[in-house]
Amino acid sequence: MFSHITAVLRALAVTLALLAGPAYAHEGHDHGAPPPPVSKTIAPRGEAASAAFELVAVPKDGTLILYLDRFETDEPVHGATLTIETPTGSANATAATDGSYQLPAPWLSKPGQYDLMVTVSVGSDADVLPLTLTIPDLAASNAPVQVGTAQTISATLSQAVPVVTQGIRERLARQDPVLLTVSAGSFLLGILVVLVARGRRRVPVIAVLVVTATVLLSASAFAHGDEDHGRPESKAALIPPNSPGATATTDLAQRLPDGSVFVPKPTQRLLELRTVMTAAGSYRRTIGLPGRIIANPNASGVVQSSVGGRLSPPPSGIFPRLGTPVKKSDVLAYVTPPVQRVDVSDMRQRQGELDQQIAIVQRRVERYQKLTVSGAVAQVQLEEALDELRGLRDRRSALDKLRAEPEALVAPVSGVIAEASAVAGQMANPGQMVFQIVDPKSLWVEALSFDALGSAENATARLADGRTLQLTYQGAGLADRNQAIPVQFAIAGDTSGLRVGQFVTVLAGTDTELQGLALPRAAVVRTGNGQDVVYEHTTAERFEARQVRVEPLDGNRVLIAAGVGAGKRVVTQGAELLDQVR
Amino acid sequence: MVFWRVAVVGSLLMTLPVQAHEVAGKFGGRVTDAGKYHVEMVAKDKTLDVYVLDNSEKPLPATGFKGIAILVVNGKPARITLAPADAQKLTGTAEVALGAAPKGAVQLTAPDGTTASGKFN
Repeated sequence: MFSHITAVLRALAVTLALLAGPAYAHEGHDHGAPPPPVSKTIAPRGEAASAAFELVAVPKDGTLILYLDRFETDEPVHGATLTIETPTGSANATAATDGSYQLPAPWLSKPGQYDLMVTVSVGSDADVLPLTLTIPDLAASNAPVQVGTAQTISATLSQAVPVVTQGIRERLARQDPVLLTVSAGSFLLGILVVLVARGRRRVPVIAVLVVTATVLLSASAFAHGDEDHGRPESKAALIPPNSPGATATTDLAQRLPDGSVFVPKPTQRLLELRTVMTAAGSYRRTIGLPGRIIANPNASGVVQSSVGGRLSPPPSGIFPRLGTPVKKSDVLAYVTPPVQRVDVSDMRQRQGELDQQIAIVQRRVERYQKLTVSGAVAQVQLEEALDELRGLRDRRSALDKLRAEPEALVAPVSGVIAEASAVAGQMANPGQMVFQIVDPKSLWVEALSFDALGSAENATARLADGRTLQLTYQGAGLADRNQAIPVQFAIAGDTSGLRVGQFVTVLAGTDTELQGLALPRAAVVRTGNGQDVVYEHTTAERFEARQVRVEPLDGNRVLIAAGVGAGKRVVTQGAELLDQVR
Repeated sequence: MVFWRVAVVGSLLMTLPVQAHEVAGKFGGRVTDAGKYHVEMVAKDKTLDVYVLDNSEKPLPATGFKGIAILVVNGKPARITLAPADAQKLTGTAEVALGAAPKGAVQLTAPDGTTASGKFN
């Protein structure tokens, strides 16, 4: 029973302790020492950030250089008014040609800590950014005060140990009698002391003391030889911090010992680094399909000749050429069917017959007209003869017309001539396509899909030049074509510059929904060990690589399934360049 | 056993003051950190009162302190010079009415000449 209560109490204690922990981490609550400088080789600088802006201040040769960027995108802000509360009063920074803002600051020559307040106003945005700038004491920088005690000891050790070991190695190599004597003496002394101390309870302690003393003695003995130990090792690992004249030259992008990348603002601007704020969401996975642009079947047409015949231009005298806009029912060409030689003799024979009959009936009609007056011929007979004459004349004229009348080829739809094969005098075969008419404002895309697309309403097409087109799903065929199904989309919006037959990549959404953060493909960098990382913009000039798990999303974006949370600034432009910083 | 009881009580004590700190200050304003101090800002119409507190929220005498507050009111920055009004607070007057919780920053100059600034979001 008691143990249960204990367990509960323990659990409660742990829970409360865990609850208490994060509560301390509230906004800006840092009572400890300011964060250590990022590197000894980087000039002192101050930075501040708000929801809208990010500000970095770097003192250089008596001038305070301020870099103002948008917080979310890391885009430089131009044309802002920066009012700075300095120890000598408030002053405005002037914009420099390189996109920074500069303020003459002679007061910065004195070392110390400066609290500045920078009021930024650009357009309708205004913000106040408090900034702390610590100017180190140049005179004190050469004294070992700057370096921590632990660092000093470790530096001393790391320099002393190689010296000692190298001394031993040299002496061993030369079979130095001093070395041999000292080591033999130490050994004997050790044995002697151990023998004296034997039988007592504190043997191990004494033994350790003795051995330590022996080693120290022998080491000091080594160090007192008269050999040249070579020049003292240079302290090249630590460039003296802020040595005079070094501040301006050492501001270089570098990878810090903790793995993060320090990129000063001027370099960030040179590399055009841009970031984006991550946001979680659900995305439809898209698949890429090969497709090509086709004419809208309802807004295009072909002009074919129904009979074989000789082509002749329309009344305007010229055939419509490629690209000529035409209207529906415009006459584009004429086809004159040729008359065969056999047909010609046939027709001539028929013509002669008809002419002969017309002459006979004509004469009969004239005779009847005279005789009907006297009543010798009935009126009915005259009328019959007249009808016959009229019929014969009709047949005769139809025979003439048939020989002369060509077939008119008319445009079935309005559009632009996409294909024209008409040449004056050319013989067209029946069924041959003479013109193709396409409406360039109404084009479709036909893609081949290996899967049945469920709801492809949010499809886009990407052209080779990177342009994208919004597509509206029109329908999919069921008949197999090369083991794939043709899917048709209408292009919504501007179709200028497109041509029929052009290849496109159709990106169609599938039904599977994925959760995560969508980032541009360029944000993900593959490191040397084959892992995918993105660079998070942690502070104004620091970027940290974050290992991520990436899933394909569509042509331009990938989905970050794990590794980075929402609300982080991730580099989307220039990440590859950032990865090269050593 | 004693250890775990102490842990429970300690954890409770640890949680309480922090929560009180998060909500609001003693004088009805908002508290933020400014260097080694805490500052509480109380905005009322055009008057701005700033109380200087130490790390454990105890008021410090305001005499000798100077300060500037820059607050963003209706998208425009307003600069307010703060001077000690009485032993407890620094007071300044703005040209425009400050909202109930204006954004901005306060910069203090301590009697020893050191400066500290705090930000209010």
